[in-house]
Amino acid sequence: MRKNALAGWLLLAPSLVLLGGLVVFPIVYNAWLSLFDKHAFLPVQRFVGLGHYVYFAHDEEFWNSFGHGLVYAGTTLVLQIAIGIPTALLLNEAFRGRNLLRGIVLFPYVIPTIVAVILWKWLLNDSYGLVNHLLMALGLTRMPVAWLGKDWIMASLVITSVWQFFPFVVVTYLARLQTIPPELYEAATVDGAGAWRRFAHVTLPQTRSVLFVIVLLRSIWMFTKFDTVWLMAGDGGVSRYIRTLPVYAYARSFTYLQAGMGAALAVIMFVILIAATAVYFRVFEREEALS
Amino acid sequence: MTRSAHIVSRRRFLRTTGVAAAGATLLARAPAALGQQVRELNVWHTEVEPQTVKTIQDTSIAEFERKFPGFKVRQQALGWGDLNTKLLAALAAGGPPDLTHLNPFMTASLYVKNLLRPMDELIRALGENDIHEATLKLQYFDGKYYGVTHAMGATYFCERRDLREKKGVKPPETFDDMLKLCAALTEDGRYALQVPGEKLYMGFVHPAEWLASNGGTWADARTWRPQLNGKSMLEILDYLQQLNRFQPAGWSGQKYLDTQAALATGKIAMSHLSGARAIGYIEKYAPENMRDPEHFQPMLRPHGPSGQKGISALDGENWAVLTQSKYPSEAFEFLKLFYKKEHYLAYCHSVPIHLTPIFKSMLNDAAYLAHPRIKKWRLWHDVMLTALRDKRLLPLGFTRPEDNLLPFLAELDGSSIVADMVVEVMVGGKPPKAEADRAQRRAEELLTQLGHKRWS
Repeated sequence: MRKNALAGWLLLAPSLVLLGGLVVFPIVYNAWLSLFDKHAFLPVQRFVGLGHYVYFAHDEEFWNSFGHGLVYAGTTLVLQIAIGIPTALLLNEAFRGRNLLRGIVLFPYVIPTIVAVILWKWLLNDSYGLVNHLLMALGLTRMPVAWLGKDWIMASLVITSVWQFFPFVVVTYLARLQTIPPELYEAATVDGAGAWRRFAHVTLPQTRSVLFVIVLLRSIWMFTKFDTVWLMAGDGGVSRYIRTLPVYAYARSFTYLQAGMGAALAVIMFVILIAATAVYFRVFEREEALS
Repeated sequence: MTRSAHIVSRRRFLRTTGVAAAGATLLARAPAALGQQVRELNVWHTEVEPQTVKTIQDTSIAEFERKFPGFKVRQQALGWGDLNTKLLAALAAGGPPDLTHLNPFMTASLYVKNLLRPMDELIRALGENDIHEATLKLQYFDGKYYGVTHAMGATYFCERRDLREKKGVKPPETFDDMLKLCAALTEDGRYALQVPGEKLYMGFVHPAEWLASNGGTWADARTWRPQLNGKSMLEILDYLQQLNRFQPAGWSGQKYLDTQAALATGKIAMSHLSGARAIGYIEKYAPENMRDPEHFQPMLRPHGPSGQKGISALDGENWAVLTQSKYPSEAFEFLKLFYKKEHYLAYCHSVPIHLTPIFKSMLNDAAYLAHPRIKKWRLWHDVMLTALRDKRLLPLGFTRPEDNLLPFLAELDGSSIVADMVVEVMVGGKPPKAEADRAQRRAEELLTQLGHKRWS
């Protein structure tokens, strides 16, 4: 028996070493680093304990970034679902050209982020962008809209992100839709249910679990999204209006050169996401139990 | 032929592959295997134009490799916005280049950490008296030279001279003149001016120019206490708020190259940031009958109510040899070849005017001035000479010459504190005083965290 247990541990060892080295160690090291005032590149460091956390508690930039992150993640999540689910329902129907359309819908998700952002920045540019050109040609506006300026930059970022990431919702939801037994719809139709009631009483209950996963993953991913946000405003003056926590953490680490502070921000984000996920799980479990 | 004739046994396959791999390795290491060790001299610089990279390769590197047969020079051209981060990362990893460009504002921070080698011998070999005073002592600490500028460029306005002259307005001397000029030039859907939206420019390079042009500084010389809410900065913010009325609404989301395109295509009458590289844009995108200095000319900066003269940024990184350099003597030898007259002339001609020679003897040298682009755009060169003569140039990010002693300018640039203040006042329309106070508080916190607090 003990021999078997030993063999089991030995077989598990490579995975444990990998997990420990690649997952646990960076998290622990990051938490450790957050207790130091450490220069990003030079061997200069000083122990400050929880000093960085205390600092961020009253740091205006932190709360601005947190607020921007909530707005960005919340808006993009709602829009991705609002667009993704109807699209998945549509693509679940039988019609000519459906496979081609499925491929096209997936396109934004498979192109590199840098391409997507450059494309949208080009479209929205207020000097030579196609969007303004069309708006003016249609007489909807007399002057170009500054899509990449202060008032519209968050909207532009949301549009770009929703365009880029809603196919994930489509694909995931569509995969689940295709496994719903058709007999359920047939029975509902026989009972006189129309399209809306079939959706509400068959589709939605059947897809609850996948919706749960979509909301969980997409909200985590959008809250921690760095590349799209960074590329949209980068280091520009306007970045102030869309600076989210990951961008602020990057800035603290690599432009302020304060690695300890960057690490503290990463720990704070980690804790926020763990807490939000725990609450979300709890709510979902309670609703499951009730239903 | 039967199929079996083509089948290669596993043993034969492994043997052939092994021999091939060993052969390839041996070939790659041939010089070492033959007792002739190939050493690599790593050189980083910030001139990314392909013709400049090629010129360095064909001149200085070619001659260096001829003179030092055991050496191979590997040059890497980096955008200067990337230089600081990459260099610091390389230093941390223990593998920095042997020779590198540095932004003058980060030289002091490397010097105080003992990371730079002095280069007095090189400076004397190049001709200490011939190096222009605008650059000579930028990296001069404790009586020794720690850097030498590669070439000089400058940041001016580029203006549509024809439009201004049509309005009968003189080039602006003061902030007030500038506002009047902007009011005159804003018409028919065309804006007078556009400031580049990158933080580096609107949050560091230009604020330094504005401060220097208005008698202000980043920090108190003795205590290093930031001066972001002082009288000078408040006057500047007030000026900027007014200036913003004459800019396209989306400027803060646009980049330097967008401003050049907007100028060349007539959407704006002046680009706030423009070096000689703008000439390339004008020659490419402006209407054909306007690609000349009669239509596009550089204009020096105006000064503010508390300043004496307008200051522009001198765009000129310095070469530096790091203490961690593996081949410091060879790095200095390379620099001697880089500045050898025919090589240096070819280098400066690779982007004329933008790469103005640092040697006084070359500024009016017939061979330098003979380049067709300099001949055509001579006015731009003359404005550079005027700025040098009148001492209207300071290195990028400097508010006064002594800023080369401030070891925190790179961090201040990276922090976005100044950029946030500028954008909130200009675009957000926030009250200058409140934003300046906020920036001051943040800057004081930052300097305290970095261990540079000397005030009580």
